[in-house]
Amino acid sequence: MASNDLVVNNPLKAIGLEEKAKSGSKSMGLVMSRAGLGKTAVLVQFALDCMLLGNKVLHISIGETVDKTRAWYDDILSLIADGEKLEDLPAVMQNRMIMTFKESSFSKAVLEERLDDLVEQDIYKPECLIIDGFDFASADRATVEEMRSFMEQRGLKMIWFSAIRHRDDERLSSDGVPAPCHEIDDLFDTVLVINPAGEEMNLDIVKCDECTVDPGTSLKLDPSTMLIQKV
Amino acid sequence: MRDLSKVRNIGISAHIDSGKTTLTERILFYTDRIHAIHEVRGKDGVGAKMDSMELEKERGITIQSAATYCSWKDLDINIIDTPGHVDFTVEVERALRVLDGAILVLCSVGGVQSQSITVNRQMTRYNVPRIAFINKCDRTGANPAKVTQQLQEKLELNAHMLQMPIGLENDLEGVIDLITMKAIYFDGDNGEIIREEEIPADMLDEAQERRESLLEEISMFSEELMEALLEEGEVDTQLIWDAVRKGTLALEFTPVLMGSAYKNKGVQKLLDAVELFLPGPKDVVNMALDLKNEEEEFAVTNDPADPLIALAFKLEDGRYGQLTYIRTYQGTLNKGDTVINTRTGKKVKIGRLCRMHSDEMEEIDSCGSGDIVALFGIDCASGDTFCAEAVSASMTSMHIPEPVISLAIIPVDNKAQVNMSKALNRFTKEDPTFRSFVDKETGETIISGMGELHLEVYTERMKREYKAEVEVGAPQVAYREAISQRAEFNYTHKKQTGGSGQFGRVAGFLEPLEDEEYEFVDSIVGGVIPREFISSCDKGFKKAIAKGSLIGAPITGVKVTINDGAFHAVDSSDVAFQLASVGAFKEGYMKAKPQILEPIMKVAVEGPSEFQGGIMGSINQRRGMIIGSMEEGLYTVIEAEVPLSEMFGYSTVLRSLTQGKAEFTMEFASFKPVPKTVSEELIKAFQEEKKNG
Repeated sequence: MASNDLVVNNPLKAIGLEEKAKSGSKSMGLVMSRAGLGKTAVLVQFALDCMLLGNKVLHISIGETVDKTRAWYDDILSLIADGEKLEDLPAVMQNRMIMTFKESSFSKAVLEERLDDLVEQDIYKPECLIIDGFDFASADRATVEEMRSFMEQRGLKMIWFSAIRHRDDERLSSDGVPAPCHEIDDLFDTVLVINPAGEEMNLDIVKCDECTVDPGTSLKLDPSTMLIQKV
Repeated sequence: MRDLSKVRNIGISAHIDSGKTTLTERILFYTDRIHAIHEVRGKDGVGAKMDSMELEKERGITIQSAATYCSWKDLDINIIDTPGHVDFTVEVERALRVLDGAILVLCSVGGVQSQSITVNRQMTRYNVPRIAFINKCDRTGANPAKVTQQLQEKLELNAHMLQMPIGLENDLEGVIDLITMKAIYFDGDNGEIIREEEIPADMLDEAQERRESLLEEISMFSEELMEALLEEGEVDTQLIWDAVRKGTLALEFTPVLMGSAYKNKGVQKLLDAVELFLPGPKDVVNMALDLKNEEEEFAVTNDPADPLIALAFKLEDGRYGQLTYIRTYQGTLNKGDTVINTRTGKKVKIGRLCRMHSDEMEEIDSCGSGDIVALFGIDCASGDTFCAEAVSASMTSMHIPEPVISLAIIPVDNKAQVNMSKALNRFTKEDPTFRSFVDKETGETIISGMGELHLEVYTERMKREYKAEVEVGAPQVAYREAISQRAEFNYTHKKQTGGSGQFGRVAGFLEPLEDEEYEFVDSIVGGVIPREFISSCDKGFKKAIAKGSLIGAPITGVKVTINDGAFHAVDSSDVAFQLASVGAFKEGYMKAKPQILEPIMKVAVEGPSEFQGGIMGSINQRRGMIIGSMEEGLYTVIEAEVPLSEMFGYSTVLRSLTQGKAEFTMEFASFKPVPKTVSEELIKAFQEEKKNG
């Protein structure tokens, strides 16, 4: 199977973000859910989409190991390829690098330093950044703003974050973005929220500035694989 | 009859230099097997008991695993001391295959290092329950709590401290047992006198807090314990031990103990923990294959009254002649018994039976199930199963990695030649990852193994133990060739030059094959190739894959199907069909887009975070693919996949790059196609070499 087939079949097309990527505009996205509902799985689907399109992805995992993060990619890729072997798998995997940090040691300054190392020595120049496990509960608006300007200065096409929402915190922004990101929702172009409903798992598009679907649309996640289902 | 609940077969595995040989030495001392302690690099020059090989004593590292036996209270313990360096990984793997439980030794300063991750993965592969022992708590910078956290985060073990240290570094006095809530001190010249006291008042709060969190954690494994905790009364110690044991046996909990083997602290409590928490032979299920019933798996019984099933897991050619280490899984083996080697089908008479204590031995008359003993003068290979006549079983095969590096060795004179042959004969029998052969074209003896150190140790041993002076060539990477697409062949071998002729036609196709080296499929119908010549075709193809036409490397991953052919009533013969198959393969091979594969190593470099950029750069220059980096405070581990051919001499580069502060380990990951430019260079070099003869 060629990686092109996966790009064509990608259920993420339902959101229509690739049109935005093609236009060259930059975007910052956010996937939110309660703990353990599959944020990483959704982020990895976005990352794989970027990788299959030939973009270099830097996956930053805060508080996780490289092996665990890598396993997510292996599992999701084998699910979307439906068990078939990808012919150009080594080339696709060249488009991914994982960096893990402890919660206490991650900051924009450290990230900048690491990225300089990679770019200046021509080791790796990421185009998409995935930041999984960022602590939004203790981050202030300025920190997230910094990340946005960082994306623009570095010429990144997109940054995707994950954030944990807490069951007992019911605060929402006017657009319906849950706490702890309700007061900084304007900094994100896209906000998706994983919502379990009975036996189903919904991926609600709460905010999507340039998507092909309207905010309020809900995609389905397969609860056993956490893959986004085709509409 | 022996009570198997009082037997433990354990291994001691760890990162290099974490002190496991010193720990084993102390265990032998406290269990009265030795009466004086000698250090690994001790000034007395005796060396540790378990490091019986001269080279081991000199380098201060363990190369071969040595088996030993000791008794602690009423417990019989068989210990295999396993090597720490990844190049000797097969020694670790073989030990783990026959062990029921293990002690994972960690340095309280270095913590979980890349090698600990490899060892832990191996333990997980063989479902070995483990206890962690945080050693060297007397060292500057000792931090057992941090190491426990690393066990949780890096090894993903549910690890919890059953003890806490009383003092650390130079002030290490003893440990607090969080289950019995006693302070334990180790008095006397060698820490042999155990003194139990009340917990020092200034440590009581912390101890209570840690105990509570420990009990909460292990209550998951025992409803009785959970109830007792809810009732908030006194919790019975036995109940806690039982819960820890249950969690450990289920591989869901890892008890953490600590101390300093060198300073004689904490070792006896570790031995108690071996009895309390690690499984006996009856607590683990070992599977064998029933050779009379299509290799169906069945669980061995561990019953000494049942027919014998034993596995030869290690061969050693020492000063007593050939020793075969076996583990009995069921039945009893007596001196003078006759057993069957199920691989060869041959009957074997058991002469002498011994328990080995490193390089000394103790003769015994019989051994029961669950034992690890050594046999004398038995002709077998490592991994063979011995059975009583009533059963025909084989223990599951062991994972043996393919060698990835080779070098030429040239004996300096005739005497060295003879001695070298003797040495190679022994080493290749003992170690399945070490191979040797004579290159027919150059006449050179080539040895191959798992890494530079692996081969270095064997060439050193040749010189020291066999007085075989050899000159060593530059290390060579073990390349492979493989096809990348299906291709057909239709080849006729015809020879009519006086006398009887040769005729054979073979047609079919080649296909890439994953995970296996070679498969032959006979789809001939209607007798176009007579039955008696089908095996000749198979032989011919096997000959053809021994050397590919790109660079002369062995061909791997190929499925050959023959579906047509022709024969001649007079001129067809075994040789004719073998030659026809060789020709057919050559014809199909070049059409099947062959490519050169090279060994790719999984490399982990650990060093201060400030050098991260430089380290990544050095990997990048070596055609390496950086998988990721793990930043933990001041240290970072970089994981990458790098071609072996690019890794020669990397330790020197890394040292100068990081002021000697970084280290790396590597192990074989997979074979992958080489890039086009490298492939062209290799082909060119091969052709030039051929031209120059």
